[in-house]
Amino acid sequence: MSMLDIWLGILQGLRITAAVTAYGLVFAVPFALVFGVAQFVTTGLTRFLVTAVIEFWRSSAVVVLLFVFYYVLPVMGITLSAMTVSALVLGLNSGGYASQAVRAGLQSLPAGQREAGMALGLSRPAILLLIELPQALVAMSPTFVNNLIQLVKATSLVSLVTLTDMTFRAKEISQTEYDPVAIYSALLLAFFVVCYPIALAGRWLEARVNPERGAPRGI
Amino acid sequence: MLDRRALPTSTLQPFPLVRIDGLNKWFGALHVLQNIDLTLRPGARVVVCGPSGSGKSTLIRCINGLERFQKGTIEFEGRSLGKSDRDAAMARRLTGMVFQSFNLFPHLTVLANCTLALRRVLLKSAHEAEEIAMRHLTAVHIPEKAQAYPAQLSGGQQQRAAIARALCLDPRIMLFDEPTSALDPEMIKEVLDVMIALAKTGVTMVCVTHEMGFAREVADEIVFMDQGSIVEHASSSDFFSRAAHPRARLFLDTILSH
Amino acid sequence: MGFNLDFALSTIPIIIGAIGTTLLATVLSCLGASALGFTFEMIRRGGGAPGLAVRFLIDFIRSTPVLAWLYFLYFVLPFYGIRLGAMTVGILGLSLYYSGYLAEVFKAGIDAIPRGQQEAARALSLTRRDTVIFVIAPQMLRNIAAPLGNYLVSILKATPYLAILAVPEMLGRAFDIASETYRYAEPLTIAGVLFLALALIVSYGVKRIEKLLLASGRR
Repeated sequence: MSMLDIWLGILQGLRITAAVTAYGLVFAVPFALVFGVAQFVTTGLTRFLVTAVIEFWRSSAVVVLLFVFYYVLPVMGITLSAMTVSALVLGLNSGGYASQAVRAGLQSLPAGQREAGMALGLSRPAILLLIELPQALVAMSPTFVNNLIQLVKATSLVSLVTLTDMTFRAKEISQTEYDPVAIYSALLLAFFVVCYPIALAGRWLEARVNPERGAPRGI
Repeated sequence: MLDRRALPTSTLQPFPLVRIDGLNKWFGALHVLQNIDLTLRPGARVVVCGPSGSGKSTLIRCINGLERFQKGTIEFEGRSLGKSDRDAAMARRLTGMVFQSFNLFPHLTVLANCTLALRRVLLKSAHEAEEIAMRHLTAVHIPEKAQAYPAQLSGGQQQRAAIARALCLDPRIMLFDEPTSALDPEMIKEVLDVMIALAKTGVTMVCVTHEMGFAREVADEIVFMDQGSIVEHASSSDFFSRAAHPRARLFLDTILSH
Repeated sequence: MGFNLDFALSTIPIIIGAIGTTLLATVLSCLGASALGFTFEMIRRGGGAPGLAVRFLIDFIRSTPVLAWLYFLYFVLPFYGIRLGAMTVGILGLSLYYSGYLAEVFKAGIDAIPRGQQEAARALSLTRRDTVIFVIAPQMLRNIAAPLGNYLVSILKATPYLAILAVPEMLGRAFDIASETYRYAEPLTIAGVLFLALALIVSYGVKRIEKLLLASGRR
């Protein structure tokens, strides 16, 4: 097999990589929004419980978490496809990180924004939805792009639970071809081709959202 | 354009400390210094003033080599300061610099701020460096703050510590870049008092400042700059009583009416 | 089959027995990543062709998954006759992967030092070397303490990847038990709980140290 054949062979796994990413976002986005906002608005015991759920998803090692859910759920009588388990675990892990960006974005808004909303007679939910969240989400959009890249990269883990993503394809090809240099270079390149454009888009976003940052100083 | 009448006679000494000749500097297309000629005799106390953006700070930053320039010469005691790194290093050895924003090292005590260059540049022993530093800290009235960190000091104390730090290297010229502009009004006096005391020791000083009271009391020469040029250079008394250039007059009227 | 709690509890001492390997891999990878990341950042700051090359390398590393890097090193090094233990390869892989992130941490830590600090050092005639040692580095260390601590936790959570290379750290030990007893749910759950606890403890410790540093910064 030529380097190109290997690369095309690996790209056959792109469909699964993309599917896990998209399916993962179905879990990540609602989790990040609901729990990020909940951590911002709640207090006392409720806030502690919200924080505990977030910490479970984001402080656990995602590799271990995937195996735990993959092997434990069936024992509990819950049978989900490998795809669904992967999307759930990777998505909620990613959502856990993103929820912190949502909360931080809300917290960093000047209090004057809320006060101005109250002075206009808006209800608390209306202020949150119409004034605070839009600003926080825009300000934090570069962080969300980073979270997305991390999610795409984490999908390489699904190869360990039998899904034929790009990483799995690389392993498959390596069973018939002894050419580790070409195969694993091609795998790295395949991820680079997917993730780098997203990173560039994130940088463009960062420059628009925070134009004052990124001015080089120092030695 | 340049008004040279009635400079103090002492300026006519044969051997100037610093001689700036036809100095020109551009930031990109912006011509920030235009044909600057300026001579500093030993012991001179020069105040540079003018509206903001007139090139005052850039001028003194050129004197100690923090800024490079494109055209002209700067001579220290007859030795030409060209455009090389070595020349810039020599200029910095001969000058002490006090910045508008103090620029003390926040992770070092006031004493360590003062002894750092004594030890690393002049290679003094720890004991000797501390002795020299304490002498200067006493001169600026904060010997008791030697072991404090910059963040524990008021703005006025920080600027006095920065003055002591600069004095430690025994510079031939002290340069002050708007030393009181970042200070709260109640702290300006304590810094100016230290500078006045310093002036009385006979050290050569070039001071960019808007403090016209200080200028009147301490300066023997005033340089007024506007749009990158020196438009008036006169003795202090002449400048305040009969500045010739309309822009200098306007500047004085605005500043003194405050 | 069900979840056998007694069996699960009996695996705790065995899995905890591998905590030394997990912590050793964490610390060595963090040191390796710091050294490599700092070197990368210094080369990048130097500019020119090496600077551009390193800039691209950092972008490449950040766009590719850690799992692909581990496979790459694990299979490609022997191809060139370089035979290293799985633990060494794992630490190299984590060091390389996280160096791409730590380079950014060092960059931010240096950029945050006000320009006037270097001007003051120059005005005092300090050499460039002395300026780095006595002025820049101490202030940089204080700036990077917090993000560095966060990456220490991230690296800890990435060490179970080494189980895939058959390194006997905690997740690897859990899989050993699973393959001997044909029971996966219990040892993996225990591994998950232990990793979560460890991550929470380390991140609490990191926050404490951060607070101490911050307090000493205000002095």
